[in-house]
Amino acid sequence: METLSLLAGGMSSALAPYHFLIMIIGLAMGVVAGALPGISFVNAMAMALPFTYMMSPIASMAFLGGIYAGGVFGGSISSILINIPGTPASLPACWDGYPMTRQGKSGKALTIAIAASATGGIASALLLTFAAPPFAKFALKFDQPEFFAATFLGLVSIIAVAKSAPWISFLSLFLGMVIGSVGVDPLYGVPRLTFGIAEAQSGINFVVVMIGLFALGEVVEMLVASDGAMKVKEHIRFERPRFTEYWALRGSVVRGTAIGSLIGMIPGAGATVGAVIAYGVEKQASPRGAEFGTGVPEGLTAPEAAKNATTGAAMIPLLTLGIPGSAATAIMLAALVLKGITPGPMLFSTQPDLVYAIFSSMLLANIFMIVAGVIIARGFSHFMKVPPAILSGFIVVLSVLGAYGVRNNIFDVYVCMIFGVIGFAMKRYNFPAAPLVLGVILGPLAERYFLTSLANYDNNVWIFVERPISATILGGALAFVLWAMSPVLLKRIRRNKTAAIS
Amino acid sequence: MNTISKIFARSIIGTLAAGSLFASGTVVAQEKYPSRPIEIIVTFGPGGGADAMGRKMSQLLEPVLKVPLPVSNIAGASGNAGMTKLLTNPADGYTVATLIALSVSSWAAGLGTAKPDDFTVVAITQNSPSMLFVAQDSPFKTIKDLLAHAKANPGAIKVATSGYGTQDDITLMYLASQGYKMTNVPFAKPAERYASPLGNHTDAIYEEPGDVAQFLAGKQLRPLVVFDDEKHASFPEVPTSKELGFNISDLPNFRTITVPAKTPKDRVDALAAAINSVMDTAEWKKFCAETYTCVARKYTPTEAQAYVKAFYANTQNYLKSMKK
Repeated sequence: METLSLLAGGMSSALAPYHFLIMIIGLAMGVVAGALPGISFVNAMAMALPFTYMMSPIASMAFLGGIYAGGVFGGSISSILINIPGTPASLPACWDGYPMTRQGKSGKALTIAIAASATGGIASALLLTFAAPPFAKFALKFDQPEFFAATFLGLVSIIAVAKSAPWISFLSLFLGMVIGSVGVDPLYGVPRLTFGIAEAQSGINFVVVMIGLFALGEVVEMLVASDGAMKVKEHIRFERPRFTEYWALRGSVVRGTAIGSLIGMIPGAGATVGAVIAYGVEKQASPRGAEFGTGVPEGLTAPEAAKNATTGAAMIPLLTLGIPGSAATAIMLAALVLKGITPGPMLFSTQPDLVYAIFSSMLLANIFMIVAGVIIARGFSHFMKVPPAILSGFIVVLSVLGAYGVRNNIFDVYVCMIFGVIGFAMKRYNFPAAPLVLGVILGPLAERYFLTSLANYDNNVWIFVERPISATILGGALAFVLWAMSPVLLKRIRRNKTAAIS
Repeated sequence: MNTISKIFARSIIGTLAAGSLFASGTVVAQEKYPSRPIEIIVTFGPGGGADAMGRKMSQLLEPVLKVPLPVSNIAGASGNAGMTKLLTNPADGYTVATLIALSVSSWAAGLGTAKPDDFTVVAITQNSPSMLFVAQDSPFKTIKDLLAHAKANPGAIKVATSGYGTQDDITLMYLASQGYKMTNVPFAKPAERYASPLGNHTDAIYEEPGDVAQFLAGKQLRPLVVFDDEKHASFPEVPTSKELGFNISDLPNFRTITVPAKTPKDRVDALAAAINSVMDTAEWKKFCAETYTCVARKYTPTEAQAYVKAFYANTQNYLKSMKK
């Protein structure tokens, strides 16, 4: 009961005209920034940080929370419409969202994405509101071996994601991991694979790789392709979401939300890993799994729900323990600390008003995201009518800006250009690019977690199966591999049998 | 004359004045500094200690220097990505960077190509000793408990640090050489490093107090020892390493504002004067007190440069002697 009265108080302060307006502005900024290829919501939050200096703590958190929630969704708009993920977490939205657009169902795809994202986001904001302290305690049980196991699960889910032969996907994944290890080794501080280039010591950022492979690669492909992938000139009609249609997807929403909420609490993993795992699991769990990649609503729903479910979950360790697990939550921490507010267990007892106002803002942001999402997605749909030559120029400019904006480093722009060429070549030769990007993201994480685990547990490699939570996740990963590979394996066994008989 | 036309007239006069300045080259060389925005390169990502310092400086320097000071975060390679950017920009005082102890010790460890002499340290803005912290419910009540356990069970105590070859590592190796062997558990990401002792996955954490301020305020971590010669003003009950007979107090965590070495001296002095006046403001004093990073005294650019060079040489010596 006490929670409800605190929440009511939080709601009234989050609904105060100034706070509410600022949250809506943040939301709109986030959706737009997310939807622009190259510009991510982390860029938008970093740019917004100085503006929070003169705001009250509640206003600044409403602002940043709005950008966060809106931006995580917004990335899917460009995934669905032009096959270019606006943010890394929207990569899976390309796989079934873009095929839907090509079938002339972009309005439906966007509606599903908005509804699923909002549902995931609202569920995770409720989790944050009602269960933050116990979940924080649970999250603290996770140590490096558990993080490694979760990352490993992310790596193997790529088999499920892959449309091409498993070994080609693995090759692509491996290349991505090699690219991800360029730079300075995380524990010893020794440069590696830098070939004497000083700038390469900063490493190759996965956002830059993603912009190059997908945005620039897609642009070149678009200009070269004679059929013109962008010529789908469909008048975007926003079919009002028929409830029965959405209700049929409830299983995917629930699975996606659950996966996103769990992954979101793990520092370092975040929305991208959550969305990819959700897609992989959904492909196995859904009755239409075999058709994934051809524009199946379930394949769009699960990762969409998962990525927005990570937003509220990621704020649990931030607010209850003071641990920011991602770039976005680190910026929120900075905004709070600059105001002399230190997130942690004390915050709930010393400033419950603030805490519940933040919870309420996150809830409201996810609810109003439906409105902001529809309006902005409709605006972006008009880009589809722009001639490819002009649209591609626009995307190139945004890509360069986005690549530079990741770390304000011109070296990243060159890297992005190189990956643009590679991306085009990969497209032409049907070499899958998604596993490569996931390798760049997950490879360094897996390495760090693995090495720190060994350092912490006497170099005992069995630690990963000795610890119950980590063993469970790894067991899940193994089951997942067998499940995904079962058709191939069964076929081989059968073939061997027939061979033996004859 | 109404206001708008007044502003208009003033801007025309201003443009004419600026034009005449450009007309004569000698005047340009002595142009008033600063006359355009100064970029502050923060060498780490948003949200960290260097970021907070850079942004606070930007905010407080603006009214003093009368120009905006936009912050850009150029993270990577222990801060060396940002330092490289600083060196490639013109040495005209319009780009400054946040050089911190971690980056200097990374040079000593062989990372990057920069040397202290490539830069001029304008001011040491923050400084803090490191401390060992344990979780609030840790069985180790005092540093003596911890050290006794370390002596009896070499390597059993696990300390969360920022990596190998860092100040953290040097301190642990020094303690090992004194008979207190503990295991270094390196965490590249600060958030993971802090979560580790809180979840009782490691026994202690080596960190400067400002970076774990929220955990101190939340009574999640408590300090056991400060690696310094003198008591920490904010933690008067915490024993110093010197009291315990250790000689490892020369690895402080300082943060500076730094420019390239070739920057004209008058501009360095102008920047230093502005930074000094900022450090006298109540707002800065509140900021540094909250982050436990107030400097004991102000250094002139020459002294600051010598301080950083001495730290570099020191770290190099430690690393050399450890390798043997």
